Amino acid sequence: MNEEKKIIHYDALVVGGGIAGGEAALNLANSGYRVLLVEKERSLGGKMILLSKVFPTLDCSACITTPKVSEIARHKNITIFTESEVTTIDKRSENDFVAQITKKPRYVHVEDCTACQLCEQACPVSVRDEYQQGLIGRKAAFIPFSIANPKAAAIDIENCTLCGACEKVCPTHCIDFTMQPEQFELHARTVVMATGFNLFDPLEIPRYGYGQHKNVITSMQMEREIAPTRPFNTILRPGDGKVPDKIAYVLCAGSRDASVGNPICSQICCMYSIKQAQLLMGALPMADVTIYYINIRSFGKGFEEFYQQAKGMGVSFVKGKIGTIKEKENGNLILRYEDISEGVVKEAEHDMVVLSVGVKSNPDAGKIFPQGALKLDPHRFVAQTDLMGSPAKTSIDGVFVAGTASAPMDIPDSILSAGSASSEAISYIKQHQEA
Amino acid sequence: MEAEKGKTARYLREKQGVPERVKEELKEFNRIKRAITGALEQEDLTIAQLAERLQMPLHEATYYLLTLVKYGVVATGEIDDMDEYYSYKLVK
Repeated sequence: MNEEKKIIHYDALVVGGGIAGGEAALNLANSGYRVLLVEKERSLGGKMILLSKVFPTLDCSACITTPKVSEIARHKNITIFTESEVTTIDKRSENDFVAQITKKPRYVHVEDCTACQLCEQACPVSVRDEYQQGLIGRKAAFIPFSIANPKAAAIDIENCTLCGACEKVCPTHCIDFTMQPEQFELHARTVVMATGFNLFDPLEIPRYGYGQHKNVITSMQMEREIAPTRPFNTILRPGDGKVPDKIAYVLCAGSRDASVGNPICSQICCMYSIKQAQLLMGALPMADVTIYYINIRSFGKGFEEFYQQAKGMGVSFVKGKIGTIKEKENGNLILRYEDISEGVVKEAEHDMVVLSVGVKSNPDAGKIFPQGALKLDPHRFVAQTDLMGSPAKTSIDGVFVAGTASAPMDIPDSILSAGSASSEAISYIKQHQEA
Repeated sequence: MEAEKGKTARYLREKQGVPERVKEELKEFNRIKRAITGALEQEDLTIAQLAERLQMPLHEATYYLLTLVKYGVVATGEIDDMDEYYSYKLVK
């Protein structure tokens, strides 16, 4: 550890470099404020940058995210720390939030890396690729994904054999294993919390067989399979590489389910499943896609039309609650479900099942502030203390919340929320400007 | 200890060593890679055929084979008449 702590000053600290944090940082920076954007992952863009398309417009997600992330990265008023963690934030006065930040070493000097991928080719190690949701491997010296920002190599030190093969082939000598964690003490005048959400872990519902039945996957895994930067040449079952032709979606997997501690609706699962179903029908025209649902919540602008469009394309909708998923010897899956319309228990065979996993809070946000000063709501999202009048306000004056850190929401609502948080942060800075 | 530019991996290896788990996982990957490339040297195979030949669970054969496709060691071949399973071939 590099023991020397660097003292730095910015107008605003934005915690989280997903679409909400990025938008908030941009708004603050465009208004002339200097922003430090802290992201724990190796790339900006959060979960959105890994999506295939967005609903209900079916616009390419990367085509929206990449220019925005690029604008953030190039903005003269924004400094970005990736692979970094805000460990504590202490409010010392109305004008002085003091944050302790740890920046992990990437073992690559980003400014010198040309993303030539020679290190990746030379690296002998192979581990599961978290950015492809574990469907495929990656090297220990690697570029996180093709549209990552910064687009630079990184070393997965936990899995590196320190063989030095990457260093030998690097034409710019940008790989440096002497890099160490850096400590920063940041002084900022306002804070925007954009710590995002966690996806529900389907291992918590053993009756769905996730992890055990290899052709039961999560919606995020399917998102990768249908993305342009997909892991395979087409959509394949991870259990045996078969091109599936009878695919089922199980909605509310970990949402609206008090038994797994998540009684609320995740807001996005119905629509992303309908989106994926439409994309699957485009990619696999002969495939049957069935969506098992409790209620379809198509409440947003254009959502109901999108739902009807899916029905028109031939997607089957079954109002049914899944009891168990069993695996046959050939890898196909038997879904036992209650047909809610008819009030009877039925079984159906599919060759691939997608669990439409829900949104859970990221309770890390609350841990950053001392003694529970940042209040969380009963579902452990950041509490909005004036939801109707000032939705970005939190329990700490000068700390604002953006995006899914406050509640499940879709991409347009996250961006709106970030707009609100940045406006309130600017207003706070101006109000507490020192004479 | 001063590390020479371009030889810093050695510096860290001498300073902290390499965990046994990491070494074992690398050996295991190399063993599987050799087995897959060896089998594909003889003929193009589907994942099911490869799994049977190597006595490997189907999902593991899928994962490792498709990883080798990504690394450019193996290429995707033709799909069968039922449009269900691809065959895979060694990149020579």
